[in-house]
Amino acid sequence: MKPAPTLSSAFLHPAGQSLPQPLLALRKQRAAALLGMPLPTRKTENWKYSARHLKLADDMAISLPAEGKTGTSLAVPGYKVVFLNGVMLPEASEFPDLDGITITSFSDLDEQEARELAGRLDHTLTPQSVQLAQLNSARFEDGLLIRLQPDAVLDQPLYIIHEVNADASGSAFPRIFVDAGRHSRLTLVEEFISSGSNGQAQVLVNAVTEFCLDEGAHLTSIRLDMEGDSIQHIGATGVRQQRNSRFESHCVGFGGALRRHDLQVRLEGEGAECKLNGVVVAQGAQHYDNHTNIEHVVGHGNSEETYRNIAADQAHVVFNGRIHIHPDAQKSNAEMNNKNLLLSNGAEIDTKPELEIYADDVKCAHGATIGQLDKTSVFYLVSRGIGRREAHVLLTMAFINELVAQIPVPAVRETAQTRLNQFFEATFQEA
Amino acid sequence: MLSIKNLHASVEDKEILKGINLEIKAGEVHAIMGPNGSGKSTLSQVLAGNEAFEVTEGEVTLNGQNLLELETEERAREGIFLAFQYPVEIPGVSNLQFLRTAVNAMRKHRGEEDMNAAEFMKLAREVCKQVDLDPSFLKRGVNEGFSGGEKKRNEIMQALLLQPKLAILDETDSGLDIDALKVVADGVNALRSPDRAILMVTHYQRLLNHIVPDYVHVLAGGRIIKSGGRELALELEEKGYGWLGIKDEDAADAPAN
Repeated sequence: MKPAPTLSSAFLHPAGQSLPQPLLALRKQRAAALLGMPLPTRKTENWKYSARHLKLADDMAISLPAEGKTGTSLAVPGYKVVFLNGVMLPEASEFPDLDGITITSFSDLDEQEARELAGRLDHTLTPQSVQLAQLNSARFEDGLLIRLQPDAVLDQPLYIIHEVNADASGSAFPRIFVDAGRHSRLTLVEEFISSGSNGQAQVLVNAVTEFCLDEGAHLTSIRLDMEGDSIQHIGATGVRQQRNSRFESHCVGFGGALRRHDLQVRLEGEGAECKLNGVVVAQGAQHYDNHTNIEHVVGHGNSEETYRNIAADQAHVVFNGRIHIHPDAQKSNAEMNNKNLLLSNGAEIDTKPELEIYADDVKCAHGATIGQLDKTSVFYLVSRGIGRREAHVLLTMAFINELVAQIPVPAVRETAQTRLNQFFEATFQEA
Repeated sequence: MLSIKNLHASVEDKEILKGINLEIKAGEVHAIMGPNGSGKSTLSQVLAGNEAFEVTEGEVTLNGQNLLELETEERAREGIFLAFQYPVEIPGVSNLQFLRTAVNAMRKHRGEEDMNAAEFMKLAREVCKQVDLDPSFLKRGVNEGFSGGEKKRNEIMQALLLQPKLAILDETDSGLDIDALKVVADGVNALRSPDRAILMVTHYQRLLNHIVPDYVHVLAGGRIIKSGGRELALELEEKGYGWLGIKDEDAADAPAN
């Protein structure tokens, strides 16, 4: 019998040499743990529906060059940090010059700071459920540490443009750690884009972002996943929240060869609350898999989760939403809502709400539906002279409008809307 | 304007319309009355082009054009308007966006330029006023959370906006209190014009006190069994459908007007 494929080829090439020693040591430790790990198959519970889209090739083992020019110059109404192939480009970035906020490359940290960071990385995520995203910790070339002092408020959104160049095969491992002090405020926008695909290159993006919110901190994370079709993207976002902190997430994802995003939130202080919104659209043979996990560790926490998925053509979308209410988490409020829209007979959506409740005095509601465009609504619109195609676009847009409208940065909302319009153009061809 | 000859239609292989014949001329107002299950709503839906119904026989022409060959949206652009008995709620599409898309689709069909946002807003506010609908309804989702009366007024408002050649009103009076009925009737009367026809489908005659028809037809068992002037409606009110030898399943539920 052929041995099961593992990640071993990912470690053929030495890298990360510019990192301070403690982080290099962490990398080595993670690499050792992953070396023999078999790749997920359809028998692996959390990859059950997506394993068939995972096609890691040896070509991907090499890190994409951490230099070059960005193919896109994005003007953004805020501060900007540009990552190319997983590594920050200082010359293309515009940092805020404000008291109370520091943005530092991992490689610029001194030994002491690096040791502290190494002790905190990966603690927002549950290793066994993000087995592939763990690869990031074994492979990141560099990373970005964003520190907000207590009461620091970033007056404008901070954009992180994650660009990957898809001309040649390889992989990129962008890594971000946000340490938000007491009562600090930040809106972080992450846009994942790619340039120059030749169609043949095998490219893997493995991105991990972690947020630690101290007491009373308010963080908004907006994530637009807009990479080219051929790119395989495995990402994870981990969040830990202390007392009375608030975390708001808006994810808009466009399908591709493989898209996997794990979002894990731990409410660890009383009165902490999170709001997680997500929109996924996929067409053609695209794939998208969202796994979310909310841990109500202590009582009096609130979580509200709303995800909408749209699959057209032969696309395949997966949603797995877990809420775990620990025994001590009395008076927790958790609401999860997931609606799915299938636009063709060949499309597939697999959705699974998972509730584990070990406390008795909690409010917990969940709902999941899968449906098609409502024929009566289509008839109503076309009976007013509206073309059938336009009626389909209006109704599909209506399915996600509410969530798009909630994206709190107008420029990002516009970017998302523009891309969504392109999706509709391609999905609903002129009859 | 509208000519219906021997129209047969089925839904899920069950024949509902069994040979309808009807001629409507421009400027006329016709009322079709009949008990529930007689095929009144089916007739409205078939004329508007609902694909759930299959036309098995007969012909329908609008100003000489074969209506049955046209898609629903093409019929609308040629001037057919159906005020729904149960207007559909569409959260996420604003009334304004919906109406502007419809108006511009009609304009495009006539070879006219799109109406700009400001012009459209002005027009929409005017027609809202005509049916006593607060312009704030324009910003809400299509029919979303509207009361029964507001939905019906929204339908008539659309007719006023789209200016159809033939307006079909399907049970527009149902679910309305007397004040709302009056508002809706005023809206419909504002639609009356020498080059427009109106076809009202109704169970009860009370709407006809406010919108006086030129002709009244009684539909039963999928056929028009009696036609006459407006006095026919009054006779029906007095004697009930039983007088014509039809069983009115809903007679017991009829409100005392």
